[in-house]
Amino acid sequence: MLAIENLQVNYGSIVALRGVDISVATGEIVAVIGPNGAGKSSLLMTIAGVVKPKAGDVKFDGRSILGEAPEKLAASGLALVPEGRHIFGSLSVAENIALGATPRNDRAGIAADTEKVLDMFPVLRDRFRQRAGNLSGGEQQMLAIARALLSRPKLLLLDEPSLGLAPLIVKQVYDAIYALRQQGLTVLVVEQSVNRALNAADRAYVMSGGAIAMVGRSSELQGTAAFDAAYFGSSQRSRA
Amino acid sequence: MIVIQNLIDAISLGSVYALAALGIGLIFSIMRLINFAHGELIMVGGFVIYAMAGNPMIVMALTAIIVVTILALGMERIAFRPLRKASPPTLLIASFAVSYLVQHSILMTFGSRPMGVDFLSGLGESIEFAGLRVPLLQCIAIVVTVALMVGLVVFFRASRIGVQMRAAAEDFTMARLLGVKADRVIAVAFALSGILASFVSLYLVAQTGTVSYKMGVNMVLIAFVASVIGGMGSLTGAALGGFLVGIVSVSLQAYLPEELRPYRDAFVFLLFIAFLLWRPQGLLVRRASERV
Amino acid sequence: MQAPVAHNPLRTALLLALILLAVAAIANFFPPALQRTVTQAMIMVVVVTGLYTFCGNSGVFSFGHVAFMAIGGYTSAILTILPGKKEVALDLPLWLEQLQLPVSVAGPIAVLFAGLIALLVGLVFMRLRGIALPMATFAMLVIVYVVALNWQAVTGGRQALVGLPRTTGLWTAFGFAVVALVVAALYDRTRRGLALRCSRESEVAAAATGIDVERERLLAFVVSAMIVAAGGVLFAHFLGTMTANTFYLDLTFVTLTMLVVGGMRSLTGACAGVALVSIVSEVFRSVERGVSLGGTTIAAPPGLQEIVLALILLVILLMRPHGLTGDWELTLPGRSKR
Repeated sequence: MLAIENLQVNYGSIVALRGVDISVATGEIVAVIGPNGAGKSSLLMTIAGVVKPKAGDVKFDGRSILGEAPEKLAASGLALVPEGRHIFGSLSVAENIALGATPRNDRAGIAADTEKVLDMFPVLRDRFRQRAGNLSGGEQQMLAIARALLSRPKLLLLDEPSLGLAPLIVKQVYDAIYALRQQGLTVLVVEQSVNRALNAADRAYVMSGGAIAMVGRSSELQGTAAFDAAYFGSSQRSRA
Repeated sequence: MIVIQNLIDAISLGSVYALAALGIGLIFSIMRLINFAHGELIMVGGFVIYAMAGNPMIVMALTAIIVVTILALGMERIAFRPLRKASPPTLLIASFAVSYLVQHSILMTFGSRPMGVDFLSGLGESIEFAGLRVPLLQCIAIVVTVALMVGLVVFFRASRIGVQMRAAAEDFTMARLLGVKADRVIAVAFALSGILASFVSLYLVAQTGTVSYKMGVNMVLIAFVASVIGGMGSLTGAALGGFLVGIVSVSLQAYLPEELRPYRDAFVFLLFIAFLLWRPQGLLVRRASERV
Repeated sequence: MQAPVAHNPLRTALLLALILLAVAAIANFFPPALQRTVTQAMIMVVVVTGLYTFCGNSGVFSFGHVAFMAIGGYTSAILTILPGKKEVALDLPLWLEQLQLPVSVAGPIAVLFAGLIALLVGLVFMRLRGIALPMATFAMLVIVYVVALNWQAVTGGRQALVGLPRTTGLWTAFGFAVVALVVAALYDRTRRGLALRCSRESEVAAAATGIDVERERLLAFVVSAMIVAAGGVLFAHFLGTMTANTFYLDLTFVTLTMLVVGGMRSLTGACAGVALVSIVSEVFRSVERGVSLGGTTIAAPPGLQEIVLALILLVILLMRPHGLTGDWELTLPGRSKR
């Protein structure tokens, strides 16, 4: 469903991504893990159309989406939950969720989906009319995901969904992601928490210093020396 | 009695200032652009009324509203859309340039002398109630302003695009990621600010009976001050700021000693500086989740 | 984020001075009207250089510098106009009325006076952060304008103040332009200049390294105000009259445009902006006056000059949002520069 080829991204003279290749098949959960500064967020922002790459290509559903505006990609079935959640604090929970359905016009479908996400995250139902800014970090994360789901995305991009959350909440979040996969959702999740990511994903890419250091099935990666070297090693190399 | 008279003066002037400030604040909250050319929207509205003299009042008014809104949309499309990613100083100078351009186009067409217009002059009559004599125009200004503000509030809460605009004002990129169309939201913001500006010009022309190519300048300066006082990015703040400036202005006019009255504007700005020292972020800070 | 430019500001200033010298030398042989345009452009170089000293280094926009031009100009006017004229037009204390100084003395006094005011104003203003600081400078502009427009006794109020000795010629203006460039370059070179530029990039980071952002900005503000005031003095003695309306929004717009269009972050940009705006204005001023073709004269209606200027401005900003020069500074070929 998603094919990234030789993606290069610069911020001014700083190289964020130096030729990254990633593929995600329909129905997969793929993780991208790596230390801070590895370029993971840049990757997701580029896919979603916020950042324009210097070179390379991003193919979604077989067609190149390079250079398309973020709002168009949202309508095409791409949903990004960025790092830090970015919910609209001055709007209500209800309004936040409704905004997720911006590309859609089918009121019945939207209402049904709203019910579904509220079932998935009951705490949002309790706080439905409240100001989103008053929610706790975990609740905001759930809101952000609920909101993203309202567009009935084909591909869900998650940037550090466990950041700053208590382990119990993180479990809830990932349980929800699993449930969604059963319904045909494809997920690309970026994580610093290695264990969490490897437990959840089918495959994982290890990023370091703006490039892919390693790729494989989660089961193969976990605990191997090669993995440790890829995660930590090349970042040390780049520091030299 | 005089006090209440002054109060009504202040509130009606404040309402007009509030409308002007709302126009500025709308654009700023979404685009972070300080639109100097907003004053020219007001000025062009005045000249449309002048050009349509002789027609029924309602025709004059509607034409002004329509033309100004189109001008606002035109400004956005031609000057500001291509510059959307530019730095704040560039955007500022660009809006200066647009303002300059429009001012001098009108200057070239109509000349520099202020010209008289008979518009709603009947509203200069005063109505009497509770022992007060209040010009009808002032009462209408207050009523219209309140109506427009209520309309805006309803728009922002109840309509889809209104909610999208509130979201965009808080976190533009995130809104786009959800599918909110940047172009559409910005265009609507400009259209709304055009409508607000046209009402300001209706009032100004009715109040002063003249139009001149510089007539928008003073209003836009006040509008900035009001927006900053209210808190840039907050619409309620802009309205509040407008009322405040109106009250201060009228109070100074009424209570300053005679010799100092010509300096009234200087005092207003002096108080503005004092306000900035006390509360630079404005009265109503946007309570928003952190923008990274 | 761009790294600080590795160049020698003094060298840039001297190169720019050489270019200005060439321009002045050529202008020497121009007809008087054209020469006046060049002289005015030189004066603008002084003003915009002063503007750059504060805005370019601190990254903070100032709308109030034209107020310092007014302060410089009016002060010098009061000190140099014939006592007889002052008695008629103004209402000054006797000692001031009878005082008449040569421009060479009045000018520096005016500049110092403006510097003093800048210091007092700056002590208050530099505490402000974010958009509040530009708005405060804007308030200052309005206050000075309203005062100048109404204080009949001191400034002549709405009447133009006439009778200033017209001592600003081509070479005087050129000389001061060079001085302004050198002063700006010297400031650029100092650690204080560097400290200020650090704060431009990140206030928080700069403060964390021990830079007193307020103090650096204050210093730049005062230096900048004095340069700008010098420009105001030059302008006053170029025009021969002082009118409050001259020193308000239109001049603010023109000078800010010169700065931003040229490139806010470099001395070269300041000069480039002055050059561009002056040339375009002059070209269209002639078109307004009328171009004779054969037996007929084609003239444009008044206001065309400003319209075209505004259009050209917009086009330049569209194509080069960082101004013509961006961060680039003029330097000798072969030297490493950014």
